[in-house]
Amino acid sequence: MNKKPQRDIKTIVNASLARRHAAERRFRWYGLIAISLGLVFVVLMFANIISQGYSAFWQTYIELPIHFDSAVIDPEGHRDPHVLENADYAALIRASLRAQFPHVEGRRNLRDLYNLVSSNAPFRLRSQVLDNPEIIGTEQSIRMLASATVDTFVKGNIDRHIDESLRSIKNQEIAWVDQLQASGQLKQRFNTILFSKGDSREPEQAGIRGALMGSFYTLVVTFLLSFPIGVATAVYLEEFAPKNRWTDLIEVNINNLAAVPSIVFGLLGLAVFINFFGLPRSAPLVGGLVLSLMTLPVIIIAGRAALTSVPPSIREAALGMGASKLQMVGHHVLPLAIPGMLTGAIIGMARALGESAPLLMIGMVAFIADVPGSFTDPATVLPVQIYLWADLPERAFVERTSAAIMVLLAFMILMNGLAIILRKRFERRW
Amino acid sequence: MPISHDAHTVKQFDVQLANLRNLVLEMGGLVEDQIQNAIKALNDEDVSAAREVIARDQIINGMQVKTDEDSVNLIALRQPLGSDLRLIMSLSKIVTDLERIGDEAEKIARMAVKTYDGDNNPPSAKLLRDVAPMAKQATTMLHDCLDALARLNVEQAIEVAKGDDELDQEYQAALRRLITYMMEDPRTIGQAINVLFIVKALERIGDHARNIAEYIIYLVKGKDVRHINMETLVQDALKGE
Amino acid sequence: MNTTTIEVQTTLDSTPSPSIRETSLSSAQIIGYDHQQTVGRITVDNPKMVCRDVNVYYAKKCALKQVSLDIGTNEVISFIGPSGCGKSTFLRCLNRMNDTIPICRVTGEIKLDQDDIYDKSIDVVQLRARVGMVFQKPNPFPKSIYENVAYGPRIHGMVNGKAEMDELVHESLERAGLLKEVESRMNEPGTSLSGGQQQRLCIARAIAVNPEVILMDEPCSALDPIATAKIEELIDELRENYTIVIVTHSMQQAARVSQRTAYFHLGNLIEIGETDQIFTNPRHKLTEDYITGRFG
Repeated sequence: MNKKPQRDIKTIVNASLARRHAAERRFRWYGLIAISLGLVFVVLMFANIISQGYSAFWQTYIELPIHFDSAVIDPEGHRDPHVLENADYAALIRASLRAQFPHVEGRRNLRDLYNLVSSNAPFRLRSQVLDNPEIIGTEQSIRMLASATVDTFVKGNIDRHIDESLRSIKNQEIAWVDQLQASGQLKQRFNTILFSKGDSREPEQAGIRGALMGSFYTLVVTFLLSFPIGVATAVYLEEFAPKNRWTDLIEVNINNLAAVPSIVFGLLGLAVFINFFGLPRSAPLVGGLVLSLMTLPVIIIAGRAALTSVPPSIREAALGMGASKLQMVGHHVLPLAIPGMLTGAIIGMARALGESAPLLMIGMVAFIADVPGSFTDPATVLPVQIYLWADLPERAFVERTSAAIMVLLAFMILMNGLAIILRKRFERRW
Repeated sequence: MPISHDAHTVKQFDVQLANLRNLVLEMGGLVEDQIQNAIKALNDEDVSAAREVIARDQIINGMQVKTDEDSVNLIALRQPLGSDLRLIMSLSKIVTDLERIGDEAEKIARMAVKTYDGDNNPPSAKLLRDVAPMAKQATTMLHDCLDALARLNVEQAIEVAKGDDELDQEYQAALRRLITYMMEDPRTIGQAINVLFIVKALERIGDHARNIAEYIIYLVKGKDVRHINMETLVQDALKGE
Repeated sequence: MNTTTIEVQTTLDSTPSPSIRETSLSSAQIIGYDHQQTVGRITVDNPKMVCRDVNVYYAKKCALKQVSLDIGTNEVISFIGPSGCGKSTFLRCLNRMNDTIPICRVTGEIKLDQDDIYDKSIDVVQLRARVGMVFQKPNPFPKSIYENVAYGPRIHGMVNGKAEMDELVHESLERAGLLKEVESRMNEPGTSLSGGQQQRLCIARAIAVNPEVILMDEPCSALDPIATAKIEELIDELRENYTIVIVTHSMQQAARVSQRTAYFHLGNLIEIGETDQIFTNPRHKLTEDYITGRFG
């Protein structure tokens, strides 16, 4: 038996020590690799979106001397607003462009020339004249939106060296743009249209304001509905409801609801809110209702978790003082749980902000050029706008899609950041 | 509640309590020997044996100090309660009485030395006639109460307490007889007084044994039976069975 | 005590008095029903609370069996016993804290003065204002020191106006021996105090509503010896005005603070008696084994 001398504990432990340390190091490496991979993909995604989208925040303008010819605008000289409104402002631009490039001839070439300027330029002139009829008869240097093709070319997204037939901008157009650039008439400015206009068929005139306002109205409805209902449900289930089969059933169902695919909520919204209650299609009100349904389980689950994390000693203390149950919850438990509940709500909101599928079902996917002004106006939301733009082939829409994604991501980060700040700020030590 | 014989959760506590009790019992044994040796030295007129008894009293004193020290340590370190507390308190009081008994044995031995050392006239057998039975009674009482302590036997302790009354009566009788002798023959007064001291010591031994018996009743029954008459003592000691 | 001790056996004392909450379970259905008679005198001359035949069931498990006990006015009574013996369960019956546990059921009779506290006419809010409680872990509300003490009087509407409230808060803190330490920082959170101070704050909070009885559930188990000594001193002072029931794991503490001690074992009240008698000469073997450390 005792052939081998008993090894002491030190040698026994030392023998396996190297192996144990190696296992620990290996495990740490796995973790590091996993995190690095995740980070790489995040960086790739951001790099891709930003590299594609940053140029959308700049827009090319063409500055042209416009002669506000009274013969064209107001031949009778009455300054009649109706006449001013219906005048042919495009002719002014055409004249200016012809003056700028006098050698261009032929219908087709002239049309190309006129297309350098965005189609909304005449409206801009009109509004200027309506605002200030004094300028009729004078010559003003007016800055006008360049067309999307020019904008794309100026931003360097079209290679001028490839064959003419393969690019959307013709050689002569390039020559004009070069000339305008040389004379300093081509300017790049911050793209305010992106943030001040609704959707448009013309990329240079398309903005996300409509979608942003749509998202805002939708989220307001969602928050106003889901937060109070969610908190009330969580408090009732956690603090007041008896623990029996029914409450167990409700709990299971709430947990299941959180896992239901969001498109199902869209179908439900369509069937109930639009078809049954007859609420308007495409409205933020309905979108908010649908997203509330989707967000509620998240808020309830987060709320219950926040309530359970309040130590029982606080409840006992309150009850022991003779507080009623509602006083216990209202004075002590809820104030301690509210930061956690808000965090859950904000994360739920962030999820609702990024949701598109259920909204497709209730018609928030329509092309809507107007910025919605109320809860019942037809509207679309940011993610749906992204979805819509992503379908369009123009290069200018591609960059706007990325820009919209960046704005959406910025809001998400903002909301999550807010959640963290709230948690840190109001978290109590006990 | 009678004393429990179950083991403590802390085994070391059991060991320490057992050690303390054994130390006291050992001391009791030693004291018993001392009395017997002193009486034997008196009977045998053996001065050197008597001196040995006197010398050995130091050992008993040492044991008393040791038990007290152990008791204090046990109280400080284990915070005994209930029967453990009563055991320690009783033992520490029993030790005091044992030490006194040891002192009485030493006293008897000193008397033996005084009586038989040198050219003093030894007392006549007449004067010493009460010493032997009283000594027997006292040693029996001590032996029984140590036995009762070892077995925590209340009945035995009661018997010991009762025995003290008999011993007191014998002492009274011996005292009367000695006074009679002294009145008959004043020359014997010196010797008679020595004998008186001896019987007084034996009577004191009986008192101490009774004290020990009372402590044993307290230890086992939790009833303080000191300073009450025998009837109540017996009643109290046997109640609550 | 020079009067002769009356040995009352609980089963005799509590004749089959019609229990208000009659149990429908037969004893065979109840798990762990094994009632033992209590040793010692359960009655006192001047009782504040009278408990008779109290049973507590968790679902079908019997956690407390036929406990009958008087709690005297202005006395400190301590409950001792091993973990799970039912002492805390019994304590929590006295202010109906067990109501918060859905599966918990209490039968028998508990009277505070003349009121049956489990009677329908007694609201639990009113009861808990009369029977305050201090818990094992100091649990001040995560509010200011002032608010902690003011909370009880506020919810019960005991004071009118800020000045009266200030006075009451100061007085309560003073009585809890905490005023000097916190006077300058009444608006700091109660949780910023040390453990012992927090516990005294909880006591101040409890006495702010001027209860008749204060229940303490192992109030010093989380405290160091000095803080413990301060609480014990406080208990001794509070005895003048309040009846105090204290559950403790420390036998030394029970011995130090209480006049009477009750020993619980497996849901039975085994023995009740004067504290000095319990700790020097317990009558029941289980008590003896517990206090001398022979248990288990």
